[in-house]
Amino acid sequence: MEARFPGYRLLPYILILPSIAVIIVFLVVPFAMAVQQSFYRTSPFGTTTLFVGFDNYSQLFSAPEYVQSLLTTLVFAALVIGGGLALSLAIAILVTRKIRGVGFYQVAFIWTYALSPAVAGIIWALLFDPSVGLGTYLIQQLTGYRINMRVSGTPALLIAAAAAVWNMLGYNICFYIAGLQNVPKEFEEAARVDGASPWRTFWRITFPMLSPTTAFLLFTNTIYAFFQVFGLIDILTQGGPGGATEILVYKLYRDGFIRLRVNYAAAQSVLLFLMVAAMALFQLRVTTRRAEYSR
Amino acid sequence: MSKKTLYKIGVHGTLILILAAVAFPLYFTFVMGTLNHQEAYAFPPKLIPGNQLFANVAEAWQRVNLGRLMVNSAVVALAVTVGKIILSILAAFAFTHFHFRGRILLFPLCMVTQMLPLPVRIIPAYSLMASFGWLNTYYALIIPYLASTTGLLLFRQFFLTVPDELPDAARVDGAGPLRYLWHVLIPLSRTNIAALFVIEFVYMWNEYLWPLIVTTDPKMRVAQIGLKMLITTERTTAEWNIIMAGTLVIMLPPLVILILLRRQFAQGIAMQSTK
Amino acid sequence: MKRVVLIAGLLVLMVAGLAQAKTTVEFWHAMSGSRLKVLEKIVSDFNAAHPDVEVRAVFTGTYEETLTRFIAGYRTGTAPHLVQVYEVGTQTMIDSGAIIPVYQIPGMLGETWDWAQYVRPIVLYYSVDGDLWPYPFSSSTFMLYYNKDHFRQAGLDPNKPPTTWDEIEEYGEKLIQAGVVSSVLSFGWPDCIFEQELALHNYLYADNENGRADLSTKVTWPDAFSVKLFETWTRLSQKGIFLYGGPEYDANAAFTAGKISMLLQSTSSLDGILKTAQGKFEVGTSFLPRFADEPSGNSVIGGSSLWVRKGQSEAELRAVWEFLKYLSQTDVAIYWHKGTGYFPTTNAALKELMDSGWFVESPNHLTAFLQILSGRQDTAAALGARLGPFPEIRDYIRTAIEKACAGTLSPEAALAEAAAKANRALQEYRSLIK
Repeated sequence: MEARFPGYRLLPYILILPSIAVIIVFLVVPFAMAVQQSFYRTSPFGTTTLFVGFDNYSQLFSAPEYVQSLLTTLVFAALVIGGGLALSLAIAILVTRKIRGVGFYQVAFIWTYALSPAVAGIIWALLFDPSVGLGTYLIQQLTGYRINMRVSGTPALLIAAAAAVWNMLGYNICFYIAGLQNVPKEFEEAARVDGASPWRTFWRITFPMLSPTTAFLLFTNTIYAFFQVFGLIDILTQGGPGGATEILVYKLYRDGFIRLRVNYAAAQSVLLFLMVAAMALFQLRVTTRRAEYSR
Repeated sequence: MSKKTLYKIGVHGTLILILAAVAFPLYFTFVMGTLNHQEAYAFPPKLIPGNQLFANVAEAWQRVNLGRLMVNSAVVALAVTVGKIILSILAAFAFTHFHFRGRILLFPLCMVTQMLPLPVRIIPAYSLMASFGWLNTYYALIIPYLASTTGLLLFRQFFLTVPDELPDAARVDGAGPLRYLWHVLIPLSRTNIAALFVIEFVYMWNEYLWPLIVTTDPKMRVAQIGLKMLITTERTTAEWNIIMAGTLVIMLPPLVILILLRRQFAQGIAMQSTK
Repeated sequence: MKRVVLIAGLLVLMVAGLAQAKTTVEFWHAMSGSRLKVLEKIVSDFNAAHPDVEVRAVFTGTYEETLTRFIAGYRTGTAPHLVQVYEVGTQTMIDSGAIIPVYQIPGMLGETWDWAQYVRPIVLYYSVDGDLWPYPFSSSTFMLYYNKDHFRQAGLDPNKPPTTWDEIEEYGEKLIQAGVVSSVLSFGWPDCIFEQELALHNYLYADNENGRADLSTKVTWPDAFSVKLFETWTRLSQKGIFLYGGPEYDANAAFTAGKISMLLQSTSSLDGILKTAQGKFEVGTSFLPRFADEPSGNSVIGGSSLWVRKGQSEAELRAVWEFLKYLSQTDVAIYWHKGTGYFPTTNAALKELMDSGWFVESPNHLTAFLQILSGRQDTAAALGARLGPFPEIRDYIRTAIEKACAGTLSPEAALAEAAAKANRALQEYRSLIK
């Protein structure tokens, strides 16, 4: 690319300076400090600091509750991403059939995007309140089983996942509608003329064409299920019962800010970073490969 | 009836059923917000709205000082949104219109925001705020958020599509880059600005973890933390009717903005998904 | 003209200087809800009576948040003069090197002070080698709350609350059979109830005399008693009598809404519960349930206390000390007790409350007192534990209770899992402090 305004030496630096400053001071430096802190152990008031090498890390991997928390996070993320993406893709396909009212449905589904995870948490806490919740009532009527998410771990995790899927529905549907509208209709029609079933057409044509959207949503939904969902968990279950909904970010918060194990929490931060970095690279690869095709 | 009509009725019917299921939790929230204490504790729960909405909102409002929380959220969300838009326009402009040393390195640096979400740096970031004396101030709630990958990508991509003739013409007219940015580029970016406005406003209004740890003074809390305060203050009874009335108020501003700017938002999404 | 500006500037400086002459005391606390209003009234009365001192009371969130903020503040030089810390933070504060033990303050200011005027169990809880470290203020303990109307409906004597776990079970079965409730009992702060029960039967919680002789190296559970306790809770839970109600004050809602009949909760909830239940049902209170065949100890002092930060000027320290002394003036201590349910901290206030007939008027305010004064005060086990990583250990115990009641782990396995984590935390803490 040619410079559109050649000859300005200083100006571009001034233009990016504010962004770079914010990134360095509030993102890069704190992260570097987290890496450093993860090799030390400090008393709560900072009076003693010991260098402990990889001790915080080895403790993490030998602690059953960290491994448990990791598993919980993966199960939770799989439910939220798998369930959420499948459901929203299905809805988006229905909405983009050649019917009237696409605009109406788009607006009618989009609004959950505007609700925060904390709001979703409070709404689902009400729905499944052990004594007055409507969800509790309906499930008792249908199955005779009275669920209490304060006591039983599996229902708590499922309810949290359902709340999260519900919360992300608007966002996901929006992206899938946009993605589907970009799929050239000729391919699908050609396949149909060839006599392929709609099911086959979808998997052979539509779904691969949607892969950049899916990759993007995979990334954003992972970020949501790993991090953004903090407010939902904090309001709905506080990680309980018995650690059944203590996902990694919640554990990190509790270790760092409640149990005052700052260095141990810093080590968890670093591990979280490695997971995010892996996800981001994966997403980047999928999208750039796709971009090369389309050129 | 033709097969086609049947098919259409089927699609609409399915969609409306799904829509009802998705909207139901919100409806139940609304109903709960309108009930009095007795009704709120009924089991099976009531599904017909009562007439206590305003009383409940007033109660929730004064209980956690909701007015102040809403003002704080509005200040923070607007400041961050506007700040992010400005900073990302400037940076995107630099990356697309100039050649400068270090470009190759600085651009990826701007992209690391995505890789460094709050939890991976939360402990030192908190200490940093404490040492700046920023705990319980707007600074802590606003400044660390100002860098935006989404914004930078959105504007960069749009600026790249602007034909070279436009800056060339500006140069011939003797306009400098800033004049060109202000008079030509920004007016052209109106849709992108609106899209980013919705995305960032909703995002910021809904932030929870960072405000939870950097503010503890009730005067500096934000609306999302108000939800937690509603559930836990007094702590003697979970008064769902009052909690839900407060929830309705807290969820309203981003909802209104999203509905008002839904077209721009959808366009912004379309651009993001095809990047 | 220049001169006018100069003089005006000097005047401004002087006025500012005069304003500065007023000593400001920053006080961070964790009192929310109805307690906040009571505290704010006390502080503004103090400020009105002391024109040279300005106490700025700042609510800094929950106890956990307040402690975290105090630590961050101390490390960056922005900590307040005075801070309220919950009882589990006691050992951390003692080891912090960040505070002045209150027993030293009168000497530093050239005063003498009678430390025997405070209610003895409170002094014992917060003392190191007989000296008081934090200033006693918001002390509480746990007791049994019950719904007298429910008892009547089930044909039980409303004036004979259960005293043992066996009776809890017996009463619980009757209440369920009579169809009064579907679950009977819940706990606030389940992790604390565990501590309370150990102390109530004179069992240690951790070695080295509950951490009072030296930093603890390990917890004493699981032992026969703690396993029995867990088994009892699990059995009650399986029978539907015990309803696990979540941490802290979550369970109060079920009690005040009449969904359960009995609640073990902090005395600091007393006023809140009485107000919410007013006009709905009659609230009774009693001692925590025990095991009949086990030794006696005492219920533990909980709540929180006030700590004075190190590194203040003499004027600031003097102002802090004035404020602390004000808090234990008889009328102030009584106002605090009546408004919140926390113990009045001085013997004089206690006597005044008795003489004025307050306890006859509101016998529920007396229950916890009788409980704590009738228990033994001569063993470390009965005094309760003092551990560095206590907030963390409580978290582990709560998880263990949840797992045992849900049947995910056997009572013993749940305790053993929590003990392993607790011991690791204790070791780690020792390695940093020693």
